Amino acid sequence: MKSVVFAAAVLAAALVTGAGAAESPPAPGTPRDFALPAKETVCLDNGLAITFVPWGRIPKTTVLAVVRTGNVDEGENTWLADVAVEMLREGAGGRSAEDIARDVAGMGGSLALAAGAEQTSVGLSVLSEHAPQAVRLIADLLRQPRFPAGELPRVLANFERRLSVARAEPDALADEALAAMIWGEHPFARTLPRPGQLAGYGIEAVREFHARNFGARRTHLYIAGRFERGTLEAALREVFADWPAGAAPTDHPPVASAQARQQFIERPGSNQTTVRIAVPVTGPAQAGWFPLSVMNTLLGGSFISRITSNLREDKGYAYSPGSSLRLFRGAALWVLEADVTAAHTAAALVEINREIERLRSEPPPPEELRAIANYRAGLFVVVNSSADGLLAQLAFLDLHGLPDEYLTRWVASVHAVTPAEVSAAAQRFLRSDAMTTVLVGEKGDASLFHRPR
Amino acid sequence: MTSRRSAWLATALGAALLAGCAAGPRPAAESAPAQAAAAVTGIDIPIEYYRLDNGLRVVLSRDPGAPTVTAGVWYRIGFRNEPRGRTGFAHLFEHLMFQGSVNLGKMEFIRLVEGNGGILNGSTRFDYTNYFQVVPAHTLETVLWAEADRMRGLAITQDNLDNQRSVVQNEVRDNVLNRPYGGFPWLSLPQLANENWHNAHNFYGDMADLDAATLADVRGFFERYYAPGNAVLVVAGDFDRDQVRGWIERYFGPVPARATPPRPDVSEPRQQAGKRHTQTDALAPRPGLALAWHVPPRGTPEHYVFGLLDQILLQGEDSRLWQRLVRERGHAGEVAGGVNLLGNLFDYDGPMLWMVYLVHDDPAAADAILADLDAEIARMQREPPSAAELERALTKLRAGLYDLAGSNTRFGLTNLLAAFALFDDDPARINRLEERFRAITPEQIRQVAADWLRPENRTILTLAPGRTAGQP
Repeated sequence: MKSVVFAAAVLAAALVTGAGAAESPPAPGTPRDFALPAKETVCLDNGLAITFVPWGRIPKTTVLAVVRTGNVDEGENTWLADVAVEMLREGAGGRSAEDIARDVAGMGGSLALAAGAEQTSVGLSVLSEHAPQAVRLIADLLRQPRFPAGELPRVLANFERRLSVARAEPDALADEALAAMIWGEHPFARTLPRPGQLAGYGIEAVREFHARNFGARRTHLYIAGRFERGTLEAALREVFADWPAGAAPTDHPPVASAQARQQFIERPGSNQTTVRIAVPVTGPAQAGWFPLSVMNTLLGGSFISRITSNLREDKGYAYSPGSSLRLFRGAALWVLEADVTAAHTAAALVEINREIERLRSEPPPPEELRAIANYRAGLFVVVNSSADGLLAQLAFLDLHGLPDEYLTRWVASVHAVTPAEVSAAAQRFLRSDAMTTVLVGEKGDASLFHRPR
Repeated sequence: MTSRRSAWLATALGAALLAGCAAGPRPAAESAPAQAAAAVTGIDIPIEYYRLDNGLRVVLSRDPGAPTVTAGVWYRIGFRNEPRGRTGFAHLFEHLMFQGSVNLGKMEFIRLVEGNGGILNGSTRFDYTNYFQVVPAHTLETVLWAEADRMRGLAITQDNLDNQRSVVQNEVRDNVLNRPYGGFPWLSLPQLANENWHNAHNFYGDMADLDAATLADVRGFFERYYAPGNAVLVVAGDFDRDQVRGWIERYFGPVPARATPPRPDVSEPRQQAGKRHTQTDALAPRPGLALAWHVPPRGTPEHYVFGLLDQILLQGEDSRLWQRLVRERGHAGEVAGGVNLLGNLFDYDGPMLWMVYLVHDDPAAADAILADLDAEIARMQREPPSAAELERALTKLRAGLYDLAGSNTRFGLTNLLAAFALFDDDPARINRLEERFRAITPEQIRQVAADWLRPENRTILTLAPGRTAGQP
């Protein structure tokens, strides 16, 4: 049982004040210690991992299964993973679809089913008194889905509707084009199915996807909140001990293209231009990760970031421009997203480029960096002061093969990043000759693209 | 600084990833002490409630579970009460509250909060506008000072106003104009179902009205509505009670008292006949269908009953409408809605709608969907729900209250405390919700369905995909 206590905020004591204020804000007091919730992991003989995280005072328990499968395993059958996971709802073990819906509601929960790129989650958050029943329900869904053929046409029609709506949304169109240019032949290159493709998925393909990709070896169960450990562990062993191990996780990491490419997608009726600029970067298990992560927060990952300050608070070109890091196992992207007034598209691209070049050429002032590090440290405490937030962090460590020290040293690592390292990260990664740019808007106009330097 | 939706009774599991036991069994871990789950029925939120001499209401709720504090001010002014000819002004004004105050220049409030480890936002709703921060506990005094600074006065320039006007217009494009189903039905349906201008105008704002807003409007709005007696300060989290009371007195106490504005007549006439409208959405690929009924007045026994009725009919995949419309008939992938789409059953103060909406496939199918929906409503009006179904509805409500009380950001909790303080002068009401719901009988649910889910009390909105006349 590992319990780690550390002072997340001790290093964040330096107050950031408003310059030029007539009356100065009162200085903060003494930072308080923050303890990461304790956790314990047990492994069954079939390879199933179960992590317990007792936390909080509210009588609820989260039972979350994370299976190492998703779109990475669907090959050219785009969204087959999503269809298969959605079909889990349609009956499992002795329960009909309606039974499942009623059982879930009766426990005070709602069923969260999501196929992701590399992980699929099947989870329930229930009143603590129902935690053992929730474990049995999750086991039925994972191990004994019925996959009734008669329900598949209705489920596929729902996906067709979802697809047609996505094709009307500028964000989905931009991400589709971006993925196609960056991920080459990998399944991640296709974010939306082709016309007519969904209709070709039969029940056998769904069953086969489940049989091939679900099993104990690929699954990690997380139990968090308030629960009676002994009772729950017994229930878990009872329903999962004889689950076949199944295959090891697919080892097929994508490789991001670092070739500069540009695409304009015409979307009639747009009164904004939807912008994506992406570039391959390093991942959390590689050297240079913390400077990169802090660099992103400073450049576009916070309200006080330079791109938000410039595009929104100075120019008024956009409502919520920003950047983020999109992480996969073995690959990562820095992505800028903005929806800008159509008439200001070219000007907005100039400003984005200006901010990138400024950070590449000059280290940020120490007080600006300190504010960014404080922000990240404070956010770390908020995120980890809930069981579900912590679960996401723990699973992130496991996916990327990171040790617990990644979390326990996280705040110190963020505060250790220097201005020179931030600028160096921008220089290393944010090269215009490696950037892919997508614009979705009213009219094609190649002059909107800034010229690669 | 606005997020469009806040979920009530929604349980979201954080996106989670994966780990494995590929390396083989780990060393046996020391066993954790058994932690019994107490059979708690009901929540017990600690609440201290008082007023300063200038009229500011204060709600304190101590929870030392994590070293963070959520602090915010809710002003009793929402888009329902904004001036005629200035639609969208309450929301535009919310943006201006981040643009500079007595001692803080543009961006300085935001830098003070984020730069000291906090997160912040604001939102505008029917009857309030709120500003809230989640900060490390040791920076609470700094944030209270800053929040009091903007209650003392704003320092807005023409440039700030022009800038935030552009930001808000882009926000409207992001959320409404440049996306399919943008205002459907949360923005469009109230305008059709309501008669009183206060409830029936464009809350996000017509572009021309946003363009017309002046600095004089800003000054007048602040003077009139942002008085301490028209607001509540809520502080929840890890704090020392005596210390925080001292800070509040020191920073908010000197804000001069001002008259609180009279409340306009926002009442709705009783709807006498059903209404039906069609809206064309040039960006939408599929048709939509939405319905709205006026709900019983807030705080009445029937209003609480309606909360349970909503659970039975519409909330969750076990609900009757989901089972009928989604599962059995396959009309749609989901059916959504509730009382007060922009908030919850309690955080408003005036007439309100219960909405039900979905996106489906065939424009000609609208009447068939309505027939299925009517059949479910008729069954509800004819037969009381079973004891098991009522118990399930109560469990859903109870779980939602626990999620509220256990949230790490405490947004939902502070919001509910603020609403009960501002509108009912009684934040402790939160601790009596469960007993109020628990006293409701199956027959009361049937009766409220019969009295309120009448066709004459209903507005139907169909959304047609395609271009409106005059568009290219």
